[in-house]
Amino acid sequence: MRPTLPLKLVSALLAASLAGTALADVTLKLPPGFTATVVQEGLGAGRHLVVGANGDVYLASRNGLVALRDSNGDGTLDKTEPFGEVKGTEVRLFKDWLYVSDDVGVYRYPLKKGELAPKGARETVVAGFPRERQHADKTFALDPKGTLYVNVGAPSNSCQIKDREEGSLGQNPCPILEKYGGVWVFDGTKTNQTPANGRRFATGMRNAVALEWNTSQGALYSVIHGRDSIDTLFPALYTAEDNATRQAEEFHQITDGGNYGWPYTFFDTKLGKRVVAPEYGGDGKKLADAGKYPDPLVAFPAHWAPNDLLFYAGKNFPAKYQDGAFIAFHGSWNRAPEPQAGYKVVFQPMKGGKPDGAYETFADGFAGEIKDNNPRNAEYRPVGLAIAPDGSLYIADSQKGRIWHVTYQK
Amino acid sequence: MTRASLLLGATLAAVCVASGETPSPVVDARTPGQKLYGRHCLSCHQADGGGVPNMQPAIAGGTWVTGDAKALALFVMTGGFDSAGRKESENGNVMPPFRQLPDADLAQILTFIREKFGAGAAPVSEAEVAAARAGLPPG
Repeated sequence: MRPTLPLKLVSALLAASLAGTALADVTLKLPPGFTATVVQEGLGAGRHLVVGANGDVYLASRNGLVALRDSNGDGTLDKTEPFGEVKGTEVRLFKDWLYVSDDVGVYRYPLKKGELAPKGARETVVAGFPRERQHADKTFALDPKGTLYVNVGAPSNSCQIKDREEGSLGQNPCPILEKYGGVWVFDGTKTNQTPANGRRFATGMRNAVALEWNTSQGALYSVIHGRDSIDTLFPALYTAEDNATRQAEEFHQITDGGNYGWPYTFFDTKLGKRVVAPEYGGDGKKLADAGKYPDPLVAFPAHWAPNDLLFYAGKNFPAKYQDGAFIAFHGSWNRAPEPQAGYKVVFQPMKGGKPDGAYETFADGFAGEIKDNNPRNAEYRPVGLAIAPDGSLYIADSQKGRIWHVTYQK
Repeated sequence: MTRASLLLGATLAAVCVASGETPSPVVDARTPGQKLYGRHCLSCHQADGGGVPNMQPAIAGGTWVTGDAKALALFVMTGGFDSAGRKESENGNVMPPFRQLPDADLAQILTFIREKFGAGAAPVSEAEVAAARAGLPPG
């Protein structure tokens, strides 16, 4: 089914929002010199986005794909063209192709010069991943050779015999890891592949939505969603406050054959060490076997939900941002009853592919006041990041389908 | 007040001051049902019963909390929809069964959610939970 958007309504809302009159709004907090402009809104449940060499923007959303262009030079993406039939999370450009994905496959459209929405037929790159509800988004990255790295999230919290059931122990070995919970690699230039044509590149990753090829390092990176509910599943070991704070969102370089420890372990931010998960004999402090799984490059706070990762290689931002990582944190739900957290874009300085100093908040204020501490009441939630050819940054939101354009001026 | 309890109070106050906290009496005004909801249900269905989009459904105002008490008790004891039904669900996470909780605790939770999220639907008694449990297959 072709997605339809009430474009007249979108235009009206956009005009009102840009004039700053009609909509209850948020003001993003950014470092000095940066400005965020709302360039489009009302695009549905936005996910990732990408910017072409001519400045055209492509947004993936759960409602469908949308191509956007600034047709009159006013700085907003005034022209919007919904296209195709893929509802999902990832969208990337590689050579003359626009690659997209949904929960069961990765596809591509030929993109001809001058076209806003691609007119050519969609090709299937790989399809046939099992349809799941939990952690189903098949986000992916492409390296310069066209190697396709696909995140196949685990449809499980911690591979318990009975998922999310109090006291249920972990399956050992976890059979889910045979087909899920890692990154599978394919030849991204070939069509009509099935999951069987892929190879498991890395494992022990619960859900690596934020997956990115770092061009300056020639290496793959991810910020992985950590596990939920240590308190309700193992109340004798963990409190609600423990659950809200201890299981890191782990930032790793993802190497061929790497194993990042899910579901057997998690990185405990309180102890600053990797611990055995309670489903696998953990007692709240028992450490994982030394050296078996890598420590994260950075342990981000629990439940922040890293949904996109981007290495800055543009020319607009100051020198300190070069090669550093921007991470879009979608924000928590499993921290309740503790206050929700995340809902921001963070910058992690990097040098030579390693962290170079502490991370800092780059853009905040998306959520506004979260009424009743319920994520559905957040005004906006950052979910996608993209760099434009001029080095400026786009941020996509999942609540109302808003896009911000962030620029820097000395 | 005894000398020992005074000393204990002073020590606690000193610990609180040392850790940068203001000592204050903590009164938990929650009903037993609300406490149990907080312990077993809140992180998924949230404090307002509104659920989390794409993750767990809202229960506030829904038919389960306003409808038949025995059906609600059975649902909570057996957990969410079976895997076939869940494929059509908008929500990512499956609800685990809560049959491990005693009848009294379940009655408190169900009474709380019916009162708070079910427009004041009638309380659920321990006997009603026990009757629902009697219909469950062994396990």
